[in-house]
Amino acid sequence: MPYNIAMISDFFYPQPGGVESHIYQLSSKLIDRGHKVIIITHAYAGRTGVRYLTNGLKVYHVPFFVIYRETTFPTVFSFFPIFRNIVIREQIEIVHGHGSLSSLCHEAILHARTMGLRTVFTDHSLFGFADAASILTNKLLKFTLSDVDHCICVSHTCKENTVLRASLDPLMVSVIPNAVVAENFKPLSHTHGSHPRHAPGPPPRLGPHDKITIVVISRLFYNKGTDLLIAAVPRILALHSNVHFIIAGSGPKAIDLEQMLERNVLQDRVSLLGSIRHEEVRDVMVRGHIYLNPSLTEAFGTVIVEAASCGLYVVCTRVGGIPEVLPGHMTEFAKPEEDDIVEATSRAIKTLMMGKVRTELFHNQVKQMYSWTDVAQRTERVYDGISGALSHDEFYQGAGAGGAWSATRGRAGVQSFALIERLKRYYGCGIWAGKLFCLCVIVDYLLFVLLEIFAPRSRIDIARNWPKKIPIQMQSREKEGDGKEGGSIGRKRSARRREKREEDESET
Amino acid sequence: MPSALSTLTSAHDAASSSIKDSDRLAPEDAYFKSVNARKRREKARDRSASRMRKGHYKKLLWFKQPFPDNYTDEETFLDHLQRNPRLQPYEFWSLMGDATVIVQHIASVAIFCCSFAAIAKDRVSPVSVVSWASLCTVLGWALWDYWIGKEEAEAIKVAAAIEAEEISSTSSNASLKEPQGLGLTLPNGSTDQLGHSHSASITSVASDTSNTSTGGHVSAIGSTALGSDFHPPYVDPASSLSPRNQQRLATAKSALLIYAALLGLSPILRSLTESTAIDSIWAISSFLLCMNVAFFDYGTGAGAHLPASISTNSALMASTVLASRLPSTTHVFSLTLFSIEVFGLFPIFRRQLRAISWRGHLALTIVLVINACGGVFMTLTGGGRGSWIAGVILGGILIFLAMGICSWWLIGLQKYKNEIHGPWDPARPIIRPRWD
Repeated sequence: MPYNIAMISDFFYPQPGGVESHIYQLSSKLIDRGHKVIIITHAYAGRTGVRYLTNGLKVYHVPFFVIYRETTFPTVFSFFPIFRNIVIREQIEIVHGHGSLSSLCHEAILHARTMGLRTVFTDHSLFGFADAASILTNKLLKFTLSDVDHCICVSHTCKENTVLRASLDPLMVSVIPNAVVAENFKPLSHTHGSHPRHAPGPPPRLGPHDKITIVVISRLFYNKGTDLLIAAVPRILALHSNVHFIIAGSGPKAIDLEQMLERNVLQDRVSLLGSIRHEEVRDVMVRGHIYLNPSLTEAFGTVIVEAASCGLYVVCTRVGGIPEVLPGHMTEFAKPEEDDIVEATSRAIKTLMMGKVRTELFHNQVKQMYSWTDVAQRTERVYDGISGALSHDEFYQGAGAGGAWSATRGRAGVQSFALIERLKRYYGCGIWAGKLFCLCVIVDYLLFVLLEIFAPRSRIDIARNWPKKIPIQMQSREKEGDGKEGGSIGRKRSARRREKREEDESET
Repeated sequence: MPSALSTLTSAHDAASSSIKDSDRLAPEDAYFKSVNARKRREKARDRSASRMRKGHYKKLLWFKQPFPDNYTDEETFLDHLQRNPRLQPYEFWSLMGDATVIVQHIASVAIFCCSFAAIAKDRVSPVSVVSWASLCTVLGWALWDYWIGKEEAEAIKVAAAIEAEEISSTSSNASLKEPQGLGLTLPNGSTDQLGHSHSASITSVASDTSNTSTGGHVSAIGSTALGSDFHPPYVDPASSLSPRNQQRLATAKSALLIYAALLGLSPILRSLTESTAIDSIWAISSFLLCMNVAFFDYGTGAGAHLPASISTNSALMASTVLASRLPSTTHVFSLTLFSIEVFGLFPIFRRQLRAISWRGHLALTIVLVINACGGVFMTLTGGGRGSWIAGVILGGILIFLAMGICSWWLIGLQKYKNEIHGPWDPARPIIRPRWD
């Protein structure tokens, strides 16, 4: 059963990043599975209005005031009119928000519930509970997630974190990991056309004097563990005369790194590449043997999966969701301590020199572990669960069976959109916050009623769907949809669309 | 129905998140968390037995598990959650003991206010107040100086002991003892008969800054010696005086300087706030004194030698503002000098006394409380000896009760402490300190 899905986040292309590529890859795979997906984000410099990406993925760049790091100003209500317009125009059934720091996503989930739509939220990051910023974010998250139908987290650690932060029932939180496009991260040997997977002989051993290159690709920030890197690099280099480093990325800690190199005169053994683009990552990775990830916090750690896919042995810190991501034979774990990182790297070098790991097999193994098609399939199951295609028992494994009370609110088809039910949920958020949130919801509902009066649905055009190859079982449904639309308007719009298609972007 | 209910609760079980799950979030959990957690885990195991599934669930992402994505495993879910990992339950009497520090400071502020009131009402002569205070200050300073000297001697003894140890074991392994080896220059210097060698002066300053615990001495000396280009202030290595005497001289010099400066400034200060209404003066000075009490450094930190500057500054400003309401230059001078002694020098003495002898600290607290209570009562009622005694009795009881109630309250509040730690917290990187 195909759904009309709107992905909403502040973070989308042209800005590079993990959330951005997640949204893009997931959307295109969902489109491949026959769903209709649009993306709503705020306007970036020189990019306002509607754009089409590959495969007919429609992106709405809504003009909004950006305050900090591409996050829009949280106005709670001002997004509602245009959001309602888009949702009606595109006949959206499921609103899927991404990123807990995106205020656009939180607002959209609130409005979507007011409009009676199903909502899903994907959390990509970890937050503590101690500092003031986290407390504020957690409260806002609790507000939005009080009424969301289902939540998706990228790792089990992330799920535990989100469940605690937003006081959710763990059954309404699914763990669906990120994935990588394995084709973009092939090791060098694959490009030569050989098939090392079936190579019968023993793996090529590294001689004692062969050069071993350690690759580090990360933004040079405190929470990426750059301090650990700066402390560990000279010691690793002193211990192993045949080791070289390639460090890519930029950030506020870059200057410390350069100072360290100058103080220890290591310029000929460490090459700094500065910031590189995402499509260059593979080319840098394949130059090395070991990937070192000294991060201090990480929800999933896509980059270590990419490194393993390129055939690199991974040394990483045991923080956040990282221990869940790769099997033990691909990784060497370290505590986030300088001594332990040096030790783990030495162990990794030794293992590589003894030829104990078959790094040339990593690519195919990773390819089987993570794929976006799989992610799309699992996300689809979530959509099925919340919209009632899957029965409640099947989706929640019997929670609240037999008429007992259940906190799994996304109950298939049963969940009430009645305002009073929603207010009950919001009221539980806190002594003061609960009342404030209830006020917000009531105002939102009044706005909705006002909009229904002054901008009635009948006056909003329905957008035509992107013409695509339709899977046979879908054809009948599509015909119905075509019949509803006005012919002349559709033609005019398709002419406009053709112009747009020329500016078609395909970013990865 | 009970089975359905039990499955429901088990689903919630591990999620200490849900507010409804009162057991896990109960305040007592902060104390009895381990016992409770174990009990709950066992319970969960009993319940999940009814829902046994094929295979084991693992918290891993890289292989497909025969469970749906929203499956929550009761065994492993939130198993790394730590609640209040560094909780130290308070004890009543130790809290009471710590509260004396605050009482001391408030009492000294009260004494200052009473002295001002008495001076302003011409009940006592300002000169007598300031002379008594100065006498006490000089005595206190002498005592303090004596303590410092004793500490220094002790430090030299400890250093010598270390030296002896070092010499006996230098042959064994030199590289292992590198940090101590650097400290080795010290005892050599201090036993040097030249008496004014550079190293010896370092010793004196190092023991100055060090705390009283003998363990602290060694580390302080070691760290001072490690900064090889460290030059102690006020100490001229070429002088014929011993470093201690040099320091005494420096102290006397600065005291004289402050005295002279105050003497010169008093006429200006006297007329400073002539154009300001009296109630603004009361408001400003009480605000500033509150600030002094609020920002005062009550800690026992070894490094903090001087009390926090914001607190001292606000107190001195308050005294300046108050002094400007007094009639003559002598009054102004006396009150300002008195305030410097009370707010600038007295805290240093109190800190040192507390570190050296607990009995002395207690005695000082009692003396201060008696004086403050009596003074406040006399000022308020305008009475004589009778009101003094009544004030001492009443105020003493009141302060003791307040200390007790506050300590008890803090202990009661501690059960609401709920600190959550888990694998999602950013790790604290452990990096070796560098000497280069």
